[in-house]
Amino acid sequence: MRHHALGSACVLVLALGSLGFGQVAVQGTGGQGRGTQEVGQGASAAPAAGGAPRGGRGAAAAAPAKPTPRKADGKPVLGTGTGEAALWLPAGGGGERFVNPDTADPSPDKLRISEVPMLPWTRALLEYRLENQLEPHTRCKPSGGPRQFLTPYGVEIVEMPDLKQIIIMDLGGPHTYRAIYMDGRPHPANFQPTYYGHSTGRWEGDTLVIDTVGFNEKFWIDRQGTPHTEKLHMTEKLTRTDYNTMKYEVTIDDPGAYTKPWTSGFNFRWTANSELFEYVCQDNNYAPDLMVGAQEFVDRTSKIVP
Amino acid sequence: MRHPVLGLVVMIAAASLLILPLSAHHEITAKFDPAKTTRLQGVVTYVDWANPHVHIFMNVGTGTNIVNWAVELESVIDLQRAKYTRDTVKPGDTLSVEGILARDGSRQVWGNTVTLAGKRILNVPEETVNRAPGGPAPRWPDGKPRLGPTTGTTGYWARPSMTILAENGTNIRANKNGLLANIADAGKVAPFQPWAKDLFELRQRNRLADDPQYLYCLPPGGPRQYQEAYGVQFVEDKDHQRIFVFVGGVDHNWRLIYLDGRQQVGQVRGDSDNPLYYGRAVGKWEGDSLVVDIKGFNEKFWFSNGGLPHTDKLHLTEKFTRTDANTLKYEVTIDDTGAYTRPWSSGWNLQWVAGEELPAFYCQDNRP
Repeated sequence: MRHHALGSACVLVLALGSLGFGQVAVQGTGGQGRGTQEVGQGASAAPAAGGAPRGGRGAAAAAPAKPTPRKADGKPVLGTGTGEAALWLPAGGGGERFVNPDTADPSPDKLRISEVPMLPWTRALLEYRLENQLEPHTRCKPSGGPRQFLTPYGVEIVEMPDLKQIIIMDLGGPHTYRAIYMDGRPHPANFQPTYYGHSTGRWEGDTLVIDTVGFNEKFWIDRQGTPHTEKLHMTEKLTRTDYNTMKYEVTIDDPGAYTKPWTSGFNFRWTANSELFEYVCQDNNYAPDLMVGAQEFVDRTSKIVP
Repeated sequence: MRHPVLGLVVMIAAASLLILPLSAHHEITAKFDPAKTTRLQGVVTYVDWANPHVHIFMNVGTGTNIVNWAVELESVIDLQRAKYTRDTVKPGDTLSVEGILARDGSRQVWGNTVTLAGKRILNVPEETVNRAPGGPAPRWPDGKPRLGPTTGTTGYWARPSMTILAENGTNIRANKNGLLANIADAGKVAPFQPWAKDLFELRQRNRLADDPQYLYCLPPGGPRQYQEAYGVQFVEDKDHQRIFVFVGGVDHNWRLIYLDGRQQVGQVRGDSDNPLYYGRAVGKWEGDSLVVDIKGFNEKFWFSNGGLPHTDKLHLTEKFTRTDANTLKYEVTIDDTGAYTRPWSSGWNLQWVAGEELPAFYCQDNRP
């Protein structure tokens, strides 16, 4: 949709090239000063409640596969059960992907880039983004879609049956959250597009199905920069296949960017004895001027998200 | 929040016969000069419909003398409440704008009045706040008052009855951003140590232009989150003995108050952990009041509207009482031996905004 302004984006990127690199490097230095780099620190960055050391990346695989916990009504517990403190982290750590590069091993749940049915402009923009990883997330934007689950710090899923909401608490980012309405409400008409869109959820058997529309175009839906437009209609399926594993499937239906709907996904890893902590992206971000647009070189008339 | 503006803004407005907009979410006089009025007519080139403030760019002039101006308006949230959308103005439309000019001389104007085809648009009407008490506070099955909405309803807390953090018993007039009506009042606001009073006065004289919440989108820790334009929400997670506080504005943050009896220490290395924007908060119920104790703050933010200083010695005791369905009484005691000569107290009421979800405002929305 917004592919026609690549030229101005190039100018922006040239002006900001060095800054952009710095932001990626400092992304992990949040409120509590944990971790210094994003990639590969998933196993060591988050705190352990009560000071107990947390398992490394291999720990989940080594743990015995307990059955999926269930509530009194028989539905799976997706969030943190009574007496538990836990986060869901991407199973592949901070390097987890939503779409694999063509060079990667085939994965049963994951498409490769060449298999994604992109429009020509979409492919051009993705290639551009792969070369220039100037992601809005590094400028402390909220990150919707699969990207919400693709930070090395993970999320907590908070089920609030009393409110008829399931709330997903971000850790790595601007310290924000996304609500999924479980009360049967429809998507509102004339919804102002947002980073997380408007999400409604329902159960299909043991799977939570989340339907989301109303995204803005100011973020990437994954770490590599897979494009989307405001036409994105996203369907997420969350299935806790055993105690330690959440299967996450996402169908991207966006006629603004793709020739047909496509589905990819990855797993989350249950990370016990971990709890939410204060991570504030802005805390040590080296690009405040970029964030606030105070500099002359920030071209706010460009419609493209670099 | 939008009760009639008091203070400096009114004085300036009276002096220059201007009526300033009432609901800008931060201090617009920091950027724009109310004494420098202008009137522009132009053709719209681009609409940046984003928080914190909407910008309309328009070409002004004719022939070879065309220049592009930025017209700054209220937030998306406020404009949408007033039933305007991002399609209200389109590129190519001809607008008339009356407003005030940027202090730095750049081609930016705060739009007090915007007119399209003879009709005033993009104005945010003043909100009347009805502080009448509601019915009794709703309660949980365990008898404790509910701080959030009941099942099947929506609502949140906003519209604080006081917009600056000032000691109980003082009578300090300030506008909704905490800008003093009379700078001579600065020393009366709280029992400052000399350096803290000087810093507070400096922040005030700079019209709050140095506020980290607006410059860098940093969180509103401490009492400030209960004076924000877009309110707060409490989500009581009884199952885990914790309460989430959601902040509507700034960056739509969550934070936690633990009621599980834990100590106020860092999660990794105890007191060696970095101090926090929201501090380490533990709470307990005393009768119908939630009492919250917070320490472990960092010094990188303003903990109040108006820019009162604090140090990492800050220790807060807060008390929340839902005195009726529509009223949340907030009381706070500030104990900070680094900035004040003695502990002191303040407080105000918040109003229940029924039937609405907490706004989702992101400070950085209009930045690339």
